[in-house]
Amino acid sequence: MPDEKKFLADIERDDAEARFAAWRQAGEAPATVLPHLGKLAASEKPGVAKAAREAMSTLVHSVGKQTGDAKRAAVVKGLLDLAGAAYALPVRVHAYRLLATIAEEDSVPAISKEIHNPELREEVVYCLEMIPGAASIQALTASYKDAKDDFKPRILAALGHRRASEAVSLCVEAMRSPDKEIAMAGVKAFGRIGKKPAEAPVYPDPQALSDWQKIEQIDSMLRYADAQAKEGSVAEAMQVYRSALERPEEHWQCAAIVGLARIGTAEAAAAILPKLKSDNSTVRITAQNAWKGMAAAKL
Amino acid sequence: MDTYKKDTRRTFLARTGAAAAGGAFLFDIVPARALGLQGQPPPSDIINFGHIGIGGRGRRFLRPEADLGKRVPAPTNLGGDGTRILRPARSMALCDVDSQRLDQAATLVGGTPKLYKDFRRLLEDKDVDAVYIGSPDHWHALQTILSCQAGKDVYVEKPACNTIEEGRAMVTAAERYARVVQVGSQGRSQPAAWEAANFIRAGRLGRVRKVTCWHYASPEGDWTPDSDPPPEIDYEMWVGPARWLPYNKRRTHGSFRWMIDFGGGQIRDRGAHVMSIANWIMDADHTGPASLRATGEPPHDGMYDSAVTMEVTYEFKNPDWTLVWAQPGTPSTELDARYGAVYWGDTGNLTVTLGDGDRTSTEQRVKDYSAQCDCGKVFRSPGHSENFEDCIRSREKPIMHMEAAHRVATLCILGNIAFQLRRPLEWDPVNERFMNDAEANRLLSRPGRGPWHL
Repeated sequence: MPDEKKFLADIERDDAEARFAAWRQAGEAPATVLPHLGKLAASEKPGVAKAAREAMSTLVHSVGKQTGDAKRAAVVKGLLDLAGAAYALPVRVHAYRLLATIAEEDSVPAISKEIHNPELREEVVYCLEMIPGAASIQALTASYKDAKDDFKPRILAALGHRRASEAVSLCVEAMRSPDKEIAMAGVKAFGRIGKKPAEAPVYPDPQALSDWQKIEQIDSMLRYADAQAKEGSVAEAMQVYRSALERPEEHWQCAAIVGLARIGTAEAAAAILPKLKSDNSTVRITAQNAWKGMAAAKL
Repeated sequence: MDTYKKDTRRTFLARTGAAAAGGAFLFDIVPARALGLQGQPPPSDIINFGHIGIGGRGRRFLRPEADLGKRVPAPTNLGGDGTRILRPARSMALCDVDSQRLDQAATLVGGTPKLYKDFRRLLEDKDVDAVYIGSPDHWHALQTILSCQAGKDVYVEKPACNTIEEGRAMVTAAERYARVVQVGSQGRSQPAAWEAANFIRAGRLGRVRKVTCWHYASPEGDWTPDSDPPPEIDYEMWVGPARWLPYNKRRTHGSFRWMIDFGGGQIRDRGAHVMSIANWIMDADHTGPASLRATGEPPHDGMYDSAVTMEVTYEFKNPDWTLVWAQPGTPSTELDARYGAVYWGDTGNLTVTLGDGDRTSTEQRVKDYSAQCDCGKVFRSPGHSENFEDCIRSREKPIMHMEAAHRVATLCILGNIAFQLRRPLEWDPVNERFMNDAEANRLLSRPGRGPWHL
């Protein structure tokens, strides 16, 4: 970057081609341009705001490949400043979205500060969800207690998406909530994490659930069973699959058959066997395919 | 909501099954309609469709109630040669976040379809056998997965997904619930693609080492101001799992595809057609490139952010071949078309144009060859929608099954990531991760917003 001042002046010019030429070269700029870019990104001129945002993104991409680089650390520091209250909301949002792609664990405390801010909490959780490592999971878990009820499902969803085994007990606790939205978010996160909890989970009473919530609850149970089977906890998985086999709905029977076939033991095969003669052709064909698959694998 | 009480495939099967089990079936008075007399197909043969997203493309899948029982040729825009007669089916439930579009679709269908603005209510309906999803790209993954969870077979428009993680989750959901999922890259179901596949796989070009796609550029966009959404659109639902952006009429409905968060430009929109045929012909439906690089230019100004021009070069290994997506690229000298691909073999080359609509074409010598060859080895789809409906009954995998669609979408997504990051990338197609690139790997996933999660 030969001339930092010219670069920033070009970003602000009325000529779209000059702005474009500048932001395409932003990868060569030092992180010290970020504060000024943050101000320009709030410009009322949409072309200038775009050029500033694109320059920030280009700068981030230029340091994104490898961790541990000095310029990368400086860019992250600059973005954390842009995420602060001194900047306009759209600029802060953009900063969080860029931090999501390059921030590391050491930035988690700074990023987490705004997790209870109604205007930014969605962006903060998105960002934490994207940062690998234990620190972001701890931050999400720690934020749960003080989160407003309407946002607790979002935090649980992030933990479920991260497959955060550390959060299993939190999910089990959430499943007992009298608030159905929170309880169902706990169920869904628990199913996605797929780890066996210290205490047996208590699922919400199906009679108290809507039709959609029932679908989500059974899906979560099946996801949990699939994960348990993958980990070798066959008995845990078999229990869920056997229950699904008893359901009248064909797709739950199919899911159980597919899961049982993956387990592939004699006991699993015995559970599938009656379904080879199912009146429902979809269930019957699924069982036949599972049977053939197990035979091919010589199980 | 209106809930009409016609006998459906599911209720008919359940009712007759229960009656037969109780020994009462033989003594029931069965209406002629239920046996398929009076010119009506029996309800057990009628597929009850739900339609999610019916404004643009999604409208093409509607089945007017007045057509039930008539011999209606399958539309060629869904693949096929137009000779096939549609299976009996009914559009019994319609859903769109735009109430004007919903009303228009209801009028088109006729009868008394159930109308929804929230697709989850449609999916709860046990009478719906299968769904057509024609919503914007950023909804494809979640709506497909939730449809599988609700026990529906799915025809979802292309491109399959917006992220690699979404695509893999769709594959998992289809497998978990043993659902039929067909993705709407209908070029594979068109006669010209089948003819070209026969020709190339028979070795008539020698070994194909390169496929070059061409396509015109994406639009630059303007600066239309943001505004409040019109009252007919539930914009919160329209954005759904994507990152929030204020409403802008030039970013919704047909224009969403020029935004990376919602669509992804020509490489995703038409790449999912042209590269679908390429992946099929090159037998690459279960793998991906080992490396790629991208060049080109984004919009210099305006509200869009997907590539205007771009050239992405993918290198495949074992077997080694190169795939190039170029907008605008170099058009074929053999056939005149706005987009398509040239297959470069050791002993010649071949053009296959387009890959969507009903106009996929190839060269005359290929048609001549297919007319006389023993072409039994390559599956010939009867038409994309027809293939889907056949598979609903047979439970076989359709021609554009979820794994294949995910692999094609992967090409589009990787191309955009390489373009965005402006550096070559190495890809592990088995583990579906980039090698030695921390930032690129984070772009393989995108957390859902609010209540919308994989």
